[in-house]
Amino acid sequence: MARVFNWQLGRTMSYWYSEQRPKRQFGAVFDINKCIACQTCTLACKTTWTSGRGQEFMLWNNVETKPYGSYPLAWDLQLLEAMGEQRWNGQTYEGRTIFEAAPAGERVLGIMKHSGDYAYPNVGEDETLGAVDKGAALSLPQQIWMFYLARICNHCTYPACLSSCSRSAIYKRPEDGIVVLDQSRCRGYQECVRACPYGKVYFNPSTGTSEKCIACFPKIEQGIQPQCFVNCIGKIRLQGWISPPAQAKEDNPIDYLVHVRKLALPLYPQFGLEPNVYYVPPINVPDRFLIQMFGPGAPAAVRTYREAKNDKTLAGLFALFGSTERTIPYFKIAGDFAVALDDDRKEFARVPIYEPVHIRRAENPLLQIIRSNTT
Amino acid sequence: MKPRALAVTRYTAPPLVVAVALLALSCGRRPAVDTAQVSARRIQAALPARDPDSAIWRDAPEHPARLMVQDVTEPRLTTPGVELVRVRAVHDGTAVAFRLEWDDASEDLIPESGRSSDAVAIQFPLESGADVPDPAMGQAGKGVRIWYWKAVWQDDERRARAGQGDRIAALYPRASIDHYPYEAGGAARREMERRYAPAAATGNPIAVRPQGGAVQVLMAEGFGNTGPTATQLGTGVGRWKEARWVTVITRPINAGPDLAPLRPGVRTYLAVAVWDGAARHTGSRKMRSGWIPLLLEAP
Repeated sequence: MARVFNWQLGRTMSYWYSEQRPKRQFGAVFDINKCIACQTCTLACKTTWTSGRGQEFMLWNNVETKPYGSYPLAWDLQLLEAMGEQRWNGQTYEGRTIFEAAPAGERVLGIMKHSGDYAYPNVGEDETLGAVDKGAALSLPQQIWMFYLARICNHCTYPACLSSCSRSAIYKRPEDGIVVLDQSRCRGYQECVRACPYGKVYFNPSTGTSEKCIACFPKIEQGIQPQCFVNCIGKIRLQGWISPPAQAKEDNPIDYLVHVRKLALPLYPQFGLEPNVYYVPPINVPDRFLIQMFGPGAPAAVRTYREAKNDKTLAGLFALFGSTERTIPYFKIAGDFAVALDDDRKEFARVPIYEPVHIRRAENPLLQIIRSNTT
Repeated sequence: MKPRALAVTRYTAPPLVVAVALLALSCGRRPAVDTAQVSARRIQAALPARDPDSAIWRDAPEHPARLMVQDVTEPRLTTPGVELVRVRAVHDGTAVAFRLEWDDASEDLIPESGRSSDAVAIQFPLESGADVPDPAMGQAGKGVRIWYWKAVWQDDERRARAGQGDRIAALYPRASIDHYPYEAGGAARREMERRYAPAAATGNPIAVRPQGGAVQVLMAEGFGNTGPTATQLGTGVGRWKEARWVTVITRPINAGPDLAPLRPGVRTYLAVAVWDGAARHTGSRKMRSGWIPLLLEAP
């Protein structure tokens, strides 16, 4: 085992290979607060990549309802329980990662997924944490809550799938950090299926090999965001490039949200993989749950997000989500507009930060009637 | 008062004696046991390459190969699986057939998530002699060749012969699928093949097996670099019955330097490995033997 630095944990940790970061790293931000679980992303991915024989149960992109939903079944609960206490001291993780908690003879602490675990992608859908008491009125913080968690492969800096493969059939592309599984080398041992804590590697029983999300790299290579991003009708997703904290650039949208404003957070950073899909945490969820899922920065991120609409840079950046098919490496705020810039910092898209607000009176004075909102 | 255990022993003894006598009558004589090596007798009859129950096997000495957990490389096996494989061998001067028999409570065929296929393999040093490679998959510069039999491949052939459909149909017999884009026609199909079955499109030897058969001949120089040899010469037939696999693997004695040639009368080595699908054994999660001396009877 080598010692590598995981900035999400604020410390070095053990990993199977030495630290070797790609030229640039695929990164993404998902704003959970905007997701309505319409599953358009899921279908966009499914119809693009996994419509073949043996891929029937495969959802490289899925959206599950938290706290009760999970696909594959109980992927997170099983591992959280197996890991034991996950203790943070400020921004430093003092518990064990899945690499450090690996049992004797194993490369990582993994949970085997069984074929039946993929049979209930909608389990727990729309279920809230408990029932509404009779006569209860809505109050904040909410007594009951739920939220939708859209998930793809996190294209981790320290992938567990990669480290678990005894054939070295999984690698990170040096040019973009996308984690791919060499389809010509895989012999179907399923070590990666067991090792990925996010349950994002799948075994294909038809070919006898494993498969995973490729971040639509043929699109990325053309400067276009992946299918699940551009098809998102809620415009919750933005794909770009994430830098290590020391190299963060203020005009890089992902860097800005993750490093500068600390508004977007990794999913289960305590696993130790340095995942590169970052989430704006839901604002309606108790801190304890958010900290478990997104780390100690979650409460502050929620506070920042609540004020985001009054912050021109943040509001502008969120307006750029879903505004263009193209990957947005850089951005700037120009007056009342947010501007997307390419690698040479040339403008290619522009959106108003604030849409004009029209207030329509309830009464129609001309007809002297009350307007109805029914469509 | 007589001890209870004695009374039980006296009560159960007669049926036991009868059972042993019946077993002896039904099986004929047991083969000789050779704990020192695997001795392949030369036979004049056709090799029983596809018949684990052939009478020819009764005359072949049996070597009880003891297996140990693979604990050289991660992932290791920490819980033992199959610990004994009974090995017999015969040859006809051209090919040698190995009969491998081991206990396995369940027949595991089609791998799916969390479940793997039963399998067995025989490994030979690429070059025989005293300076053998590491028995755990060989080592750099000192390769091994492996005849690897997998239950699912045999089942693939059985289903194909019986017209029973593919693995998905076997795993989910009640599933109804409207349409796979993969099964579109012409140029569209080729594009869909690339898109939806990338392992097959790249010619992955696990996904695509043009030569068929239940055996794959592999080369290795240590862990993690196993791959098929250019020439695939070998057959395998397994039969699972009453919680036991009996599998016959046949390989050529000398089909060129790339297939670990054997020489009758000259001692070399073999090693055996077993994967128990029910225990999710795959890859390096296996039970394996060390090198076992192998001698093919000279003409």
